[in-house]
Amino acid sequence: MRTLALPPFWSLVEAHGDELLVHARRLAGDSNGEDVLQEALLRALRAYPRLRHADHLRAWLYRITTTTAMDHHRGRAREVLTDDPPAAAAEPDHYDDAFDSLIASLPDTAQAALRLRFVDDLDYAGVAHVLGISPQAARQRVSTAIRTLRSQGAAA
Amino acid sequence: MTLPQHLLDRIASAAVAEGLADAVYTRLKTPIGTLTVVQGARGVLRVGFEKDPLDALLAEVAAGVGPRIVASDRELAATRDALEAYFESGDERLDLPVDLALVHSAFRRDALTELRDVPAGEVVTYGELARRIDHPRAARAIGTACATNPVPIIVPCHRVLPGSGGVGNYGGGPDLKRRLLALEGSLPTTAPRR
Repeated sequence: MRTLALPPFWSLVEAHGDELLVHARRLAGDSNGEDVLQEALLRALRAYPRLRHADHLRAWLYRITTTTAMDHHRGRAREVLTDDPPAAAAEPDHYDDAFDSLIASLPDTAQAALRLRFVDDLDYAGVAHVLGISPQAARQRVSTAIRTLRSQGAAA
Repeated sequence: MTLPQHLLDRIASAAVAEGLADAVYTRLKTPIGTLTVVQGARGVLRVGFEKDPLDALLAEVAAGVGPRIVASDRELAATRDALEAYFESGDERLDLPVDLALVHSAFRRDALTELRDVPAGEVVTYGELARRIDHPRAARAIGTACATNPVPIIVPCHRVLPGSGGVGNYGGGPDLKRRLLALEGSLPTTAPRR
């Protein structure tokens, strides 16, 4: 029958669920972490039978959680644009510290890389692991983001 | 260290509601130890005794029906209730739906299906069960079908006894078989029966 032996999905949830929740909270805020993780795990379940190998499942779950958190931010951004009462939209509950507003103009992928590097203080291997990219790509993503911020600062 | 229970419950229920789960499992404390019950959309696929390692048991189910297995007491509440009622009285009919997808032989499926018609309080010999499925000389193969029964207790292989007397073998051990038969009031005290 199946040649590929994927572990029962729940064993992944039990092994990595708590660290994924930390990751989801880190990227989407404390109050959104659980919703983001739930959506991420449902996305993972939808894709699970189609996986072609059973390697790096933890990194795979991190990647899905990262993407889901970014989609969550995008969804919020859209809500902010379409919300009628601007007062409600002007109350970001956990998104208001200096760092976040500094990097808010960057693409989500760049924001995530910067947060992991400078807020969570991960090294490039750590950033790479979480984002599911190579350490070189992680280093490049962070340095490109910093260059963009510098040039924006110079232009301002 | 794992996720808070309310979150695990929420995720499992959402997965089931969306049809994303190949199977759901629950662990249930009973007088004969903690049972693991794994259920698919069509019925109970697997019942494991306390001695069966959970990892191996879930891997077996994953290989048979798919790896999207989640845990939820809530989604299997009806199954848990039925088993709890059985362990309280012993004469409860455990007529839970069963899915024999993990049985990879038509003969064994026939034997186990036939066995479901043996109610609590009654027993049958290996030979008699063989006759009932029109394989009168296959008593030994019936023994194998029982030994490899993935759904013990609900498919009552503990009610199948050797014609030569005693309780014979059992996946959970002969002592467990005696306890289940005693619960149902049909522990053989004397000589073989036919």
